[in-house]
Amino acid sequence: MSQPAPEELLLDYAAGALDPAPSLALSLHVALDPEARRTVERLGALGGALLEQEPDEALDDAFLADTLSRLDGLAVEPPARPFVPRPGFEWAPAALARHIPAGAQWRSVLGGFEEIRLNVPGRHYRTSLLRLAPGHALPEHRHVGEEFTVCLQGGYSDATGRYGVGDLAIGPGTDRHEPVADHGEPCIALIVVERPVVLTGPIGRFFNPLVRRGII
Amino acid sequence: MLSPDEAADLIEAIAARQDKAAFATLFRHYAPRVKAFLMRGGSDAETAQEVAQEALIMVWRKAASFDRGKAAASTWIYTIARNKRIDLARRTNRPAIDTEDWLTVFAPEAEDADKSVLAGQTYRRVEELLGSLSADQLLVIRKAFFEDKTHTAIAEELGLPLGTVKSRIRLALGRLREALEKDEP
Repeated sequence: MSQPAPEELLLDYAAGALDPAPSLALSLHVALDPEARRTVERLGALGGALLEQEPDEALDDAFLADTLSRLDGLAVEPPARPFVPRPGFEWAPAALARHIPAGAQWRSVLGGFEEIRLNVPGRHYRTSLLRLAPGHALPEHRHVGEEFTVCLQGGYSDATGRYGVGDLAIGPGTDRHEPVADHGEPCIALIVVERPVVLTGPIGRFFNPLVRRGII
Repeated sequence: MLSPDEAADLIEAIAARQDKAAFATLFRHYAPRVKAFLMRGGSDAETAQEVAQEALIMVWRKAASFDRGKAAASTWIYTIARNKRIDLARRTNRPAIDTEDWLTVFAPEAEDADKSVLAGQTYRRVEELLGSLSADQLLVIRKAFFEDKTHTAIAEELGLPLGTVKSRIRLALGRLREALEKDEP
């Protein structure tokens, strides 16, 4: 069951107030969830109306002349070409595809999942793609900061519910969670985590020093 | 003043024949508005003018991607101006998402186009709505759009519980939804 993000978070996103990594997570949710997209469209209309309401002020002619001179030799660009999904990354919408480095490959991580680390600007968040085999679980972990997860292929469940393609999960919801991938195809999700994460299970605790060093 | 149709005609004239007279008319209307909008958010006059110029030059470059069936001109230009503001913040060590990504988000794919609420004359209704919101609701909405603040930062600044700010936003957006959906086929 798909559930759009809370409206106050969509407002943060539409007004451009979010950091780049959470903004990327929201942009994927918005691309994949029609109801969230309509809310963001309405917010865009609201932004346009606020702009239009600004007073009609006289313009400095030199400012216009300077701008017109900058248009010389500046062609109007042809319309954007339709997005073509990348082979091997067919589940990645356009806004994500441009963040996946050329030659990116899934890397096995201790704990039984695979990861592609993304280089999104901003130091406060870690952004990764995770791939989890059908029926497998991520090690139980606990977040001390914010977490945004957008499911891009397959689905998963944890104590808070079941998540399918386009769904956004926002943490910390419960103290701990242990996502389990649906049966069928592997679950792929974008995960944006405010540093740091603390693993809580008996095996997970063993990994904490690695997490702190940013190895996993 | 420019009507939404006139503004859309001007953008289409730029796309069709690189029409500088159309650009000048559009510029006279929107450049001062973008500048004023940014100055409300705390930008100094020089920065606001630079962002306004960059935004309107982007309008020229991207004119062929404008689709009046998907977005009102004001919404499209607002989006570009917001991106330019973020780009400028990136130069001053606050990195942000690519402008192209933002435009992608605000240009829904074809399958959803018939349901777009951005199209046509809808911003007239939004303007009516803005006049009917409570002062409390309007304050939160304006802070988000003008000052580029998250709802959490707004709650802190106003000394309000987070729940109060969330409920004001949700009430305002509920009104917005009603305003845009009335009489739509």
